[in-house]
Amino acid sequence: MPEPIQLEVVTPQRRVFSAWVSEVSFPSEHRGYYGILPGHTPVMTPLGNGLIYYTQDGQRHWLTVFGGFAEVGPDHVTILARDSETVDMIDPTQAEADRVRALKLLKEAQTEHDLADAKAALDVSLVRIQASGHPGGHGY
Amino acid sequence: MAGLQDIRRRIRSVKNTQQVTKAMKMISAVKLRKSQERLVSLRPYAGKMRDVAKSVVGRIKGHVAAEQLNLGPEARLFLDPREEKRIRVVLVASDKGLCGGFNANVMKAANAFLDTRAKEAVVLDVVGKRAVDYARKKGFKVHKEYLGIPLTGLERVSREVSDDAAKQYQTGEIDALYVIFNEFHSAMSQDPQVVRIFPMDLDAPAVDAKSETAHLLEPDPNTTLEALLPRFVETELLRALLESSASEHGARMAAMDKASNNAGEMIGKLTLTMNKIRQASITNQIIEIVSGANA
Repeated sequence: MPEPIQLEVVTPQRRVFSAWVSEVSFPSEHRGYYGILPGHTPVMTPLGNGLIYYTQDGQRHWLTVFGGFAEVGPDHVTILARDSETVDMIDPTQAEADRVRALKLLKEAQTEHDLADAKAALDVSLVRIQASGHPGGHGY
Repeated sequence: MAGLQDIRRRIRSVKNTQQVTKAMKMISAVKLRKSQERLVSLRPYAGKMRDVAKSVVGRIKGHVAAEQLNLGPEARLFLDPREEKRIRVVLVASDKGLCGGFNANVMKAANAFLDTRAKEAVVLDVVGKRAVDYARKKGFKVHKEYLGIPLTGLERVSREVSDDAAKQYQTGEIDALYVIFNEFHSAMSQDPQVVRIFPMDLDAPAVDAKSETAHLLEPDPNTTLEALLPRFVETELLRALLESSASEHGARMAAMDKASNNAGEMIGKLTLTMNKIRQASITNQIIEIVSGANA
């Protein structure tokens, strides 16, 4: 049986993912994770940072996403991400190094701006670490 | 008749020019590939963004009054077109010449569009030296000049212009934002476009069967539109800049290819003339020798 939802993930840099899947969940900016099954009512919402989970052939896969928008229809989910990566694009050791550096920056931050930057960097590294390891049960 | 020496000199000079045009063609080919890669990777995003923005905005307009949704100024940006008393136009051309009709075409489109407006009603943002020259010559008011922007700097330009234009719209300084640029089809063909970015053109809304019902905008319409619409403007501008960049290099590549071919043709003609002259002088000498021997 063909999968019922067309999931498409595009960023300004590239088309990250495009395929038919049976289930999607993604992190919204304001309301936590959305779980999308076929026939979902049309929704449009800004995204936060986190993982997009999708189920294909009964297997669960995931992608990272950093900001952007999701547009949901009964048979499609379109993610316009600011940035997004597949798991194989992530270097776990690099992500860990980034996390350590971000923590250091967070402690040393003087201005509001530095603090926000450090927090954002930490957030990104944490999402990558989560993606490269075995992710928890978000959205499931 | 031109001397043999003169013709040799000319051939050498044309050959040098040919080498320059060949090199320029090759450089343009490399630059074209880079711009094109960037453009091709942005296009799906920009296309989706436009579809989503249009269908969301189109539906809001079609179904509910903006007042009912309690929209803030940012979100209103795209929803109520008003009389265009003053407009801001981003004119995208190139810094350098030698690219065939690239600049001429975009200027022609600019002329056709801007001639319908009063001079005072237009503020230009100009990208590229040729666009600056155009604005000066025509006497338009220039808001900002962007010169020598590398491919990687285009993103910053689009962000700057879109932020600034949004502010101007809200304070009532301008009533619309247009962009004039060359759209890239292939290295051989580009065509100039005049596009209104906001307020959004909804005459032909991108309605597909997939989105027949109105979207829920979560967490609320205001927050969503305020996040979406500025990104939409930015993306549209970035696309215009990239289209123009790819077009420029494509046009230059085509122009330089033609120039190299013409130079080759010219060398051929000159060589033929040179050989004729040489042969004539040889024949002359033989005649002289023969008639000398006969005498």
